[in-house]
Amino acid sequence: MASLALDSCGSCAEHRTKSLVRLGLSPDRWDYLIALAGNPNTGKSTVFNALTGLRQHTGNWPGKTVVRAEGAFEHDGKRVKIVDLPGTYSLQAGSVDEEVARDFVLFGRPDVTVVVVDATRLERNLNLVLQILEITDRVVVFLNLMDEARRHGVAVDPVRLEKELGVPVIPGVARQDSGIDELISAALDVAAGTRTTSPFRAGRYAPDVERAVVGLAPVVESVYPEVPNSRWVALRLLNADEAVQEAVRSGELGQLASGSQEAVHAPPPEADRQRLLDAATRWRWDLPTDFHDVVTQHSYDAAEEVAGRAQMTGLKRAGFAFDRKLDKALTSRVFGFPLMLLILAIVFWITIEGANVPSGMLATLLIGTVHPWLNGVAAAASVPWWLSGFVLDGVYLATAWVIAVMLPPMAIFFPVFTLLEDFGYLPRVAFNLDALFKKAGAHGKQALTMCMGFGCNAAGVVATRVIDSPRERLIAIITNNFSLCNGRWPTQILIATIFIGALAPASLGGLVSAAAVVGIALLGITMMFLSSWLLSRTVLRGEATSFSLELPPYRPPRILQTLYTSIIDRTLIVLWRAVVFAAPAGAVIWLIANISFGGESLAQHLVGWLNPVGLLLGLNGVILLAYVVAIPANEIVIPTVLMLTVLTGGLAGGSGAGVMFEADSVGATSELLRAGGWTLLTGVNLMLFSLLHNPCSTTIYTIFQETRSAKWTTLATALPLAMGFTVCFLVAQVWRLVAA
Amino acid sequence: MDLRLPSIPLRQTVELVSIDLPADQAEPLLERGVLPGCRICPVRSSPSGHAIVSVDGSLLALRRETAACLCVRLLTSLQEVG
Ligand SMILES: Nc1nc2c(ncn2[C@@H]2O[C@H](COP(=O)(O)OP(=O)(O)OP(=O)(O)O)[C@@H](O)[C@H]2O)c(=O)[nH]1
Repeated sequence: MASLALDSCGSCAEHRTKSLVRLGLSPDRWDYLIALAGNPNTGKSTVFNALTGLRQHTGNWPGKTVVRAEGAFEHDGKRVKIVDLPGTYSLQAGSVDEEVARDFVLFGRPDVTVVVVDATRLERNLNLVLQILEITDRVVVFLNLMDEARRHGVAVDPVRLEKELGVPVIPGVARQDSGIDELISAALDVAAGTRTTSPFRAGRYAPDVERAVVGLAPVVESVYPEVPNSRWVALRLLNADEAVQEAVRSGELGQLASGSQEAVHAPPPEADRQRLLDAATRWRWDLPTDFHDVVTQHSYDAAEEVAGRAQMTGLKRAGFAFDRKLDKALTSRVFGFPLMLLILAIVFWITIEGANVPSGMLATLLIGTVHPWLNGVAAAASVPWWLSGFVLDGVYLATAWVIAVMLPPMAIFFPVFTLLEDFGYLPRVAFNLDALFKKAGAHGKQALTMCMGFGCNAAGVVATRVIDSPRERLIAIITNNFSLCNGRWPTQILIATIFIGALAPASLGGLVSAAAVVGIALLGITMMFLSSWLLSRTVLRGEATSFSLELPPYRPPRILQTLYTSIIDRTLIVLWRAVVFAAPAGAVIWLIANISFGGESLAQHLVGWLNPVGLLLGLNGVILLAYVVAIPANEIVIPTVLMLTVLTGGLAGGSGAGVMFEADSVGATSELLRAGGWTLLTGVNLMLFSLLHNPCSTTIYTIFQETRSAKWTTLATALPLAMGFTVCFLVAQVWRLVAA
Repeated sequence: MDLRLPSIPLRQTVELVSIDLPADQAEPLLERGVLPGCRICPVRSSPSGHAIVSVDGSLLALRRETAACLCVRLLTSLQEVG
């Protein structure tokens, strides 16, 4: 972000703010459309943010951007819309990501495509650049990560590269906002057509392939005279590329070519379109069997050649000595695993310890001070009791509780986690866990989506798009719920503190509670492996596909920006969601506590019915009812439990029927629960059940969105619930046997 | 003479000759710079036999079976070793 970057070139940034007005989210009308493409982890999202002032999620692992992000800015009076495409290595449309990116470059009709290139890995990145140059000649290359290239002794000559590629090449460091101004003007010049390009195009293929291309290209030209590169279209048709075939069939191919939004060509007559497709089919018969390999090899050769010319040779690659040393420890046979647990424990410990005080303060303020004051106001205004009860004791208190309990831990956890992510630790976790994933028949990248699940399961489910194989992706989706999400920690932390931390001497209480929470998180990971294994042996049978994972270089995280973005993007969004769900749930609780028949409230009836089942599971009716009420949001389980305990136990405490409250301190909560008949077993089983139960409603909905299948959504919902019942039941039986 | 990557000692750079995998599985490797003719060097291995290799300056983790599909050639002359 401009305001944070300590740019040496302050004057340009200043100049830019004058002419560049960031518009934030996408406008309906625009003068130019820019597509942002590039290999994974090259800094596309960083460039996107620098351009738009938006805070698209960035992080140091390949494949974060899975959905198309859109934004806009205004420059010299022109409105520019910009689309951030998923990072891909090629445009072969082999995975969902590649398809999204390819279709946009091809069919989205951008006025210019900006390709973000990692200067330290030129050759590999050029492969994509060359593929894009085949499709369109409106391209600008942004040579990013020049700082890293310099540090590692890789010298790229941008001027030479520009000559080779025939399109503008702008060197820069997106993270420091440098090169962005030049990028904007080059991109807009190309978009406006004031700067013409003469893109590098692959030369002749091997004779038998070349013959087919030369034979088909004139047919393409005769049917679609406006396409920029008939050879490419011919090649794709020979390759039986479905999207291109469809574009020929529908006549859409002609529209793409112009690039401009307005010019609309009438589609060629249907007979002509069919003639082209038939010709392609005929030529395909004459192709050599290794046609695909020949073409692929050809494009890699070209990339190598161009890279070779633009890269200074003779420079010794100053290795990544620091990276290697760190990797040696973090992925070591001996220390890799313990270090991972240690890091996890430290993150939780910081979260638990750090959140205590602000949580207490918020609770005192919102519940201890504001709530009585609001009640006073309501009484003074003689608002009917049921209305003030419903709004203040139901809706307000539920919301206040969620804020007090969730905001502080999230505001600590998310930034810490994001720092780790920015630093590049996640791919190492994936590496450490891969052997286990493979044994479970799952994809190594599931480790990444699992980590995302620790923040929010819905986010983890969306992140599974990085997994190409549909079978392995389904496994990752169904088992993501075993990552203990952020909505469930407050429960874990509170119960661990009351029932387990209390067993240890006071000075060690915090540490012991943190260890218990880590234990539950680990159990979740174990369950995830177990269920992945089960799934891949039964309904989702198959072997794990071969897997290669890039370990990106460690990058110093940007502390300030991380704090800012993780608080805005993650914390507030998750909090908002919780509030939206907590408010109506608060209302429901108040209602079931205040509607009564047969002398007892509805809540008391329900708890009474559920109690036998609850006790069998080592829980109780209150907990089960709380989970039913809290389906929309896990966050409100604890306040619901407390309220129902007071209500049905006839205990003193709280402030009336259906009033959701937080006991003033952990001590008071503890006394209350114990008086309600809770034992250590109840506490332990509640922790287990909070880990193993159905996903929250948002996650269920997201699973349905991603799978489009009621069957898999049901399985993903029922599986953890069944496991939860089983585990709690077994623990309760064994516990009672041992105790007896 | 069919030398595969897993039999190469750590930190010895070799040249990749071919990838013995079906095209759709080889593609992701090619895209990440694992191309016939490139220099490849195993830098570490993990307990489960995973290999971390260095290719074109970046680090790549490969499953054992994948590594076993990479046919390589020793660099002979001093000049080649660089
Ligand atoms: N040193 C340095 N780091 C950069 C630069 N640009 C981006 N980064 C870092 O590179 C990492 C990846 O950046 P992103 O913007 O998330 O990458 P992306 O291309 O959007 O990644 P995908 O979503 O995987 O496609 C982040 O940790 C950035 O902070 C740069 O110019 N220099």
